Amino acid sequence: MSEKNYAHPEALVSTEWVSEHLADPRVRIVESNEDILLYDTGHIQGAVHIDWRSDLQDQTIRDYITPQQFSALCERNGISNDTTVIFYGDKSNWWACYALWVFRLFGHTKVKIMDGGRDKWVAEDRHLTRAVPHFPHGHYAAPEARADAEIRAFYDQALAQSRAGMALIDVRSPAEFRGEVTHMPEYPQEGVLRGGHIPGAASVPWKMAVKDDSTFKGVNELRQIYEDEAGLQPGQDVIAYCRIGERSSHTWFVLTYLLGYKNVRNYDGSWTEWGNRVGAPIERS
Amino acid sequence: MYPGKLNQIIALFESLPDSEKRESLISYAAAAMKQGPRDGETFDLEDVRKDEECTDTVGVFLKVSPPRTCSFRITLGPQVQTLTKAMTAILCKGLDGLTPEDIMEVPADFVPKIVGAELVRQRSQTVYYILTRMKGIARVWLNRERSAASNGV
Repeated sequence: MSEKNYAHPEALVSTEWVSEHLADPRVRIVESNEDILLYDTGHIQGAVHIDWRSDLQDQTIRDYITPQQFSALCERNGISNDTTVIFYGDKSNWWACYALWVFRLFGHTKVKIMDGGRDKWVAEDRHLTRAVPHFPHGHYAAPEARADAEIRAFYDQALAQSRAGMALIDVRSPAEFRGEVTHMPEYPQEGVLRGGHIPGAASVPWKMAVKDDSTFKGVNELRQIYEDEAGLQPGQDVIAYCRIGERSSHTWFVLTYLLGYKNVRNYDGSWTEWGNRVGAPIERS
Repeated sequence: MYPGKLNQIIALFESLPDSEKRESLISYAAAAMKQGPRDGETFDLEDVRKDEECTDTVGVFLKVSPPRTCSFRITLGPQVQTLTKAMTAILCKGLDGLTPEDIMEVPADFVPKIVGAELVRQRSQTVYYILTRMKGIARVWLNRERSAASNGV
């Protein structure tokens, strides 16, 4: 990945690299998808499945699991504190980036994305298996707390960012941004009452960051998109949002790891919180 | 409440533990790719389109044979999700042989009984989409039949 001049090229691995590390005991491969049954139909040999909803989220409150639950999740998937975790999945790695971001919330920094995700692996006709791996339990010392303050934004912070005229990136489709639709193209309505965007937000759909084969664009193209066109500047405090935080995790990954921004937060409450919140200011254009 | 063949499938799924339910859904999803039109088949109606609420193109083909029994063929684009594929094969089998009127009356509340509460999510709602499309083409067939009757054809 060094030829693309990313700020942190070590955060990306190729499908070829993964195929050469299937049996590496220091590495755990994790598949995270939107399609709930896709892992069951076949996955990379040795990959475990971590589901964004049933594994990473609290099952009652709209929030993430506790540090203790995260520790247990890692241990039952054979992940220890020093394990390098490689994420991949469907939808150009939306949920892989989301899972990576959640791992970062718990302080796990040895994380990487398989560039191109599941689609690229399949397109290259690489082997898939239905065999579910079983690893010895890992040893995972639970972190004291989630690092919410560092890489996660909440409603009040997004509102303050908007009022201060600071950088907000809306990564949804242009029609969602303009308030013409209240669902993603090709998706059912997900329960939001108002359409539009957070005042002052710039529209940079997540898809701008990837090529047709789902791999990330090179750094020059990314800088043109996020800096020349959207007006971001390195060093800025940036908040990204979408509908429920998965597409904005993808953009968070791009800004943080590929462009090297140090203060990027993902507003995971996103439009399903903002567009339902009584009194939340909305802009349409 | 549900037509016979569909009722049998529902009863089977309800009797399965979650792990076997998932396996059965995977099997049905694999079978979905064999639900398309076969060489030489003809249809009364064909409806192939890409709608906003589904991730890929879905083609629905309806044949109504005397006296009034429906059979469906369905094609799915590659981006359609696994649950939707499974529901396609289940519905092609479960609704085979019904009349168009019967198709229109099939309630959608059987879906969680088959899929299970764990797998029903906001973003899994396209599992209902295939039934909607099947009802849609049955409605068109009925409208045409009524129109032909009123015109004395």
